[in-house]
Amino acid sequence: MNRADIAPARPRAAAVETLSRRDRRLGKILLAPALAYIFLLVAIPFLLAVFLSLTNSSAGSLDFSFVGLQNFRNVMASPVFLRALRNTFVFTLVSQFLVIVLGNILARALMKPFRGKLLVRFLILLPWAAPISLATLGWLWIFDSTFSVINWLLKVAGWLGPGQWYYWLGDPVLGMVAIITVHVWRMLPFSTVILLAGLTSIPKEVHEAADIDGAGSIAKTFQITLPMMLPILTVAVLFGVVFTFTDMSVVYLLTRGGPYNSTHVLASLAFQDGVLGGDVGRGASVAIFLVPLLLVMAVVMLRISRRAEVV
Amino acid sequence: MHTRRQFILRGAKLVAAGAAGAAATAAGPTVFVRGSAAADKTLKVLQWAHFVPAYDKWFDPWAKDWGSKRGVEVTVDHVGFADVVPRATAEVAAQSGHDIHMFIGLASAFEEHVIDLKDVSGALEKKYGKPVDLAHRSTYNAFTKKQFALSDMWVPDPGNYHKKVWTDIGMPNGPVTYEDLVKAAPEIKKVAPQMQIPIGVGLSQDIDSNMAVRNMLWCHGGSIQDKDGNVVLNSPETLKALEYAKRLYSVGMTQAVLSWNAASNNQAFNAQETAYILNSISAYRTAQDNKLPVLENYFFVPALKGPTGIQLASEHVMSGYVVWKFSKSQDIAKEFLVALVDASRESMLASKLYNFPSFYGAAADPNTPLNKKVESGAAWIAKQCNADPFGSQPGDKLSLLSKALPWSTNLGYPGFANPAEGEIFDTYVITDMFAKAATGALSPKDALNEASNRCKEIFGKWRKKGMVAGSSKDR
Repeated sequence: MNRADIAPARPRAAAVETLSRRDRRLGKILLAPALAYIFLLVAIPFLLAVFLSLTNSSAGSLDFSFVGLQNFRNVMASPVFLRALRNTFVFTLVSQFLVIVLGNILARALMKPFRGKLLVRFLILLPWAAPISLATLGWLWIFDSTFSVINWLLKVAGWLGPGQWYYWLGDPVLGMVAIITVHVWRMLPFSTVILLAGLTSIPKEVHEAADIDGAGSIAKTFQITLPMMLPILTVAVLFGVVFTFTDMSVVYLLTRGGPYNSTHVLASLAFQDGVLGGDVGRGASVAIFLVPLLLVMAVVMLRISRRAEVV
Repeated sequence: MHTRRQFILRGAKLVAAGAAGAAATAAGPTVFVRGSAAADKTLKVLQWAHFVPAYDKWFDPWAKDWGSKRGVEVTVDHVGFADVVPRATAEVAAQSGHDIHMFIGLASAFEEHVIDLKDVSGALEKKYGKPVDLAHRSTYNAFTKKQFALSDMWVPDPGNYHKKVWTDIGMPNGPVTYEDLVKAAPEIKKVAPQMQIPIGVGLSQDIDSNMAVRNMLWCHGGSIQDKDGNVVLNSPETLKALEYAKRLYSVGMTQAVLSWNAASNNQAFNAQETAYILNSISAYRTAQDNKLPVLENYFFVPALKGPTGIQLASEHVMSGYVVWKFSKSQDIAKEFLVALVDASRESMLASKLYNFPSFYGAAADPNTPLNKKVESGAAWIAKQCNADPFGSQPGDKLSLLSKALPWSTNLGYPGFANPAEGEIFDTYVITDMFAKAATGALSPKDALNEASNRCKEIFGKWRKKGMVAGSSKDR
């Protein structure tokens, strides 16, 4: 090989290298806004919350003293906090279970051809698009203790006799039922869309091959559909769990944590203590209490998801 | 002691200012009131959205007129009552926002970040005489000696009763004592079985309930603090109040009252689903505006007496205007507050007699000598209440309001308002105690212990910050 043969190869290699470098630079530029957003609006407030949870900071003051883990000790001794902690798990687990089950049913139904499918899809997506404050106001009337539409319908239907009444927002158990109902209604469209995407991405040939092998519908569900949907299902569950664990809007708009602080979740209690009550340190400690758990959960689920992708 | 300023102010200012700006945009209707194109001074006021909407229709143009006469560009932002405290928190964190912030409860938690309005209060006293005592006790910290807020108005909180129902049970003038409610409830069920909640005293996490349970507590001889700031909730008197609440709940209330928001008792009374509520006249004005069937039976009674003979009710609203230290228009803000008190007559009429002047003397007839101004103002107020210019039938339906002062008191009674009382109010410690005892979720004794411990914890925290007195006689 002489120099003349080699010479053109160099500029080509250099060009490829330059392109690769350009790609890397472009990648960094495209990533920068997202990173800046996460850093400014997620990382800094989060670190600030950790910092404040170790102080006696209050809403009306910029002064503080470090109090170590005192805020955590105080909240752990509070029956309201313990109730909110329990509610957070109940709220998250029950609502996520319902969202996934109902989302699956809806997604499977939407895969079948039927008249008015587009309209049904639109109606299913509507709760996701509606502003939560507006939607919850509607639900507030539906569950109102005095004027509940549900109760009036049940009364007309003869289900509720004289003197019988469901106090949806005035009873700790019914209050949680109402909160979970609204949250499931709100989350269902997102979950349905995600699961629908997962279901449609499974190649038909796989199901056809299973049919030829004589697999029944249960075997297909557990040996083909679920394993192949695992990555997307994991993402849906992870998003749902983290979102539900940290969401306060439904609780705050529907019951404000009542009756007697019995329907608080950690996020709504943190708002009540930290912002309304002005005890920023205590509020921050309530707010970040579950961060370690959520972190572990996120890592585990993402690992499961990655493994499933490899398979 | 460190200051958060040293650590985070630079970063937090950027983030919080952005958030506050966004919140301000979303806060509600903004009235940009431009005095003149040449206005070189500005004043930004954050004001609640009044429960009687007619008031805001008066306030905004009034602020415009005031500003235009002085070359000041006045901006008024209205927020819902529930957003008043969160907005204050955001503005303090951002160290920017409005110049004047109106609180409808206690502003005491923000004392450190507001200027002392002693000079304004003093000037007004020289002009109109002393303010009503409950306004003074709600805006002055006796421990730090700071006039942290200025009140231009307060709102009485009478009982609202359904005349026909109470006449049918033989009590045409409504209840007089708390015991009357217990006696009346079973009778109301008999004569008005369609009513879902015979007695509608809220026990929920909302402001009306917060006041209602304090009334019950005080009238049974209990209180959160004594006059010196010691926590004295844990007392036989409080226990009696809780046992009373349990009796009342069992005979006259339902779980509905545990879920009420600030509008629920109005709605229940106006729909004739309850025969007694504790509320200002805003629900009544709504009934008038909408010509509701309940109107002819809508009547009022003063605060009820407890077994101790004590007859007290918390003010329903107590305005507390603060001027932030970060404001660059502090002098203009002070002038504005003086002008607002000067306009006490217009304010009361614009609110359809909802607002009562905190300086009675500001409602006095013109040219009245200083030593007669309070008396003259009281006479003018009585004249409005005795012949309601807003169409009450009979015309003197609201006359009891002009005599409300002796049975009205401040949050923090028998002491002064302070940040600890404010935090207890905003985190519903007392309503929850009553609700738990009334429903049997906890025994009265256990509910009391739980609430008392939380109150002591909150007071202890604020004492460490040097903003609340007491401790040696805590129970």
